[in-house]
Amino acid sequence: MIKNFKFWTGFFIIFGLIASSIIFSVFFDSHVRQVQVLYDENMTPIEAAPFEPSFMFPLGTDPLGYDTAGKVLQGAKFTLISVIVIGILRVIFSFAVAIPLAFYMPEKIRKGLDQLLSSFYFIPLTIIAIFILSPILKEQIKIPEMEEYFIYSFAERIGLEIIILTLLVVPLLGSMIGNMMASTLKEDFIEGANVLGASRMRIFKKHVMPHLLPKLIIVWCQQCVQVLIIFTHLGYFKLFFGGTDIDFNPFWRDPPKSLSNEWSGLVGNYYTYIQGNPAIALGPIIMFGIAIYAFQLMAEGFQRHLETRKVKGFKQAKRTKRQEDAVEASGKFQFLQNRGA
Amino acid sequence: MKIAKKLLLQLLLTFLSIILISGLPELIMNKNVSAYFGKVKAVFIEMLYLNEMTYLNQGIKRPFLEDIWEPYFYSLTILFGALFIALCFAQVLTWGTLMLPNFIRKIIKNILTFLESLPDLLVFALVQMGIVLIYKKTGVLVSNVASLGAEDRIYIVPITCLMLLPFVYFYKMMILMTEEEMGKQYVETSLAKGMKRLYVLVFHVTRNTSEGIFHFSKSVLWFMISNLLLVEIIFNIHGITHYMYHDFRPEMLAACLILLVIPFFLIFALFEWTIMRYSKRSEAL
Repeated sequence: MIKNFKFWTGFFIIFGLIASSIIFSVFFDSHVRQVQVLYDENMTPIEAAPFEPSFMFPLGTDPLGYDTAGKVLQGAKFTLISVIVIGILRVIFSFAVAIPLAFYMPEKIRKGLDQLLSSFYFIPLTIIAIFILSPILKEQIKIPEMEEYFIYSFAERIGLEIIILTLLVVPLLGSMIGNMMASTLKEDFIEGANVLGASRMRIFKKHVMPHLLPKLIIVWCQQCVQVLIIFTHLGYFKLFFGGTDIDFNPFWRDPPKSLSNEWSGLVGNYYTYIQGNPAIALGPIIMFGIAIYAFQLMAEGFQRHLETRKVKGFKQAKRTKRQEDAVEASGKFQFLQNRGA
Repeated sequence: MKIAKKLLLQLLLTFLSIILISGLPELIMNKNVSAYFGKVKAVFIEMLYLNEMTYLNQGIKRPFLEDIWEPYFYSLTILFGALFIALCFAQVLTWGTLMLPNFIRKIIKNILTFLESLPDLLVFALVQMGIVLIYKKTGVLVSNVASLGAEDRIYIVPITCLMLLPFVYFYKMMILMTEEEMGKQYVETSLAKGMKRLYVLVFHVTRNTSEGIFHFSKSVLWFMISNLLLVEIIFNIHGITHYMYHDFRPEMLAACLILLVIPFFLIFALFEWTIMRYSKRSEAL
């Protein structure tokens, strides 16, 4: 059992957001209240939408009077679940790529491949994501008939977005996990197992996996953070998760709409109010910040847990303070270096 | 020479992957593999004759290379300025922080974790709001919040926006790495010999951490290029991403990305070469 305050804080923030969002949609049918004018007891109007954040509207309302907090709550499940799914897929795919890299390649070829894959460091992810996802997510228009359409259906759009956001990082992440695996394979106990005649499969299952799995959880948390950041970027460029509804009416255009109130849509819709009415614009972005912080807390707490856990069955000798500090420092170092190089 | 060959190969592969990626929207729109390869081939040919490439500027065809240089260098100034300032600030502050007692360092690290999780969009928004707020309160316009057109150049605001998050990343990374390095034997020896803590920190420890920081800076830069796009659009800056975003053709994207990649590549190659040359530690890498 993980005994770490940070980890559980992060976990409960994410879990709480998703759970409350699902409860909101099941029991209240995701009904977002709309208040356009506030009256006092004598029925004289005292305030009109948009409202500033207050006790009544924790995140304020948008100009039409819809409660931003309600919208955020409604969208939380779409955003967070898709982030978690993309994070898991990224790790699984990269893991699948990493296995042949670490097990079947000679050291030299692996280093070479690593070099090749690191060319992806120079391709900025957001720009490519915007570029590839635009034709999928933006509503198109047929010129002569003025008919609006999407190239793909709703399910296909979501599927494609998840696949593309996954595949874009697989080269880098795959080589990173491959390096992690290869460094595990160089440990002394693997050599021992080899001498004793363990097969590759056994080494993989009994020795590499227990070592790697906890690290993969940390990698997963980092990937979730990265996906969240890409979602804010895509939202700013009006590419919303699951498709952007664009109004092609030539005379009075509605702004692009998100189909499900997921958070990147809210960011995209509200960012224009940043100068005039900052409260509206900041709400959804702050929610992204909270989610990112939660994932980071999880990663850090888990890291901490790995360093201080007791191995089952062995009573560990009490370490001196100095040793513990050294372990902590080296653990942190490894983790950040993996992220960097 | 071996390293030059390796880098050249890497550069070519980067170009190749950029070109391959730039054909992808064609594949997605038409769901047709042969159209995709046709597009990739077209982009490739276009890249070979880059000096003849044209783009539409308000309906008029203009040669691409002639117009791109000024915005290009403007963007590079912003990007490298931000990177440089972030690095310097982080380094100086790290030295200062390492002189502090342990519990304060812990608090600083926790704060940095929190700051790390700010979404970049929020940082940009806060900078924008901050400038407006200062103007409202004191009447001093720190800087223009938005650029008015192609001729108007603003530097302070975009550089501030771009540097804030990298600064936090570098700062945290440097503290962690320096703390780790401080636990090593040679530091103890030199401290025992009576050298000042600050001296050891600045002259010995920093040199040994700099290599790790260099590798880390690659991924920071990777994310800064993405941020550059956001900053240039938010502040209406006429930089290279302006061309990229307003003319979203595969050829344009490939050309701009290749232009952006080249300076980074050269600089990183230079650093890598220096490190290879002057440090024996790199043999292990």
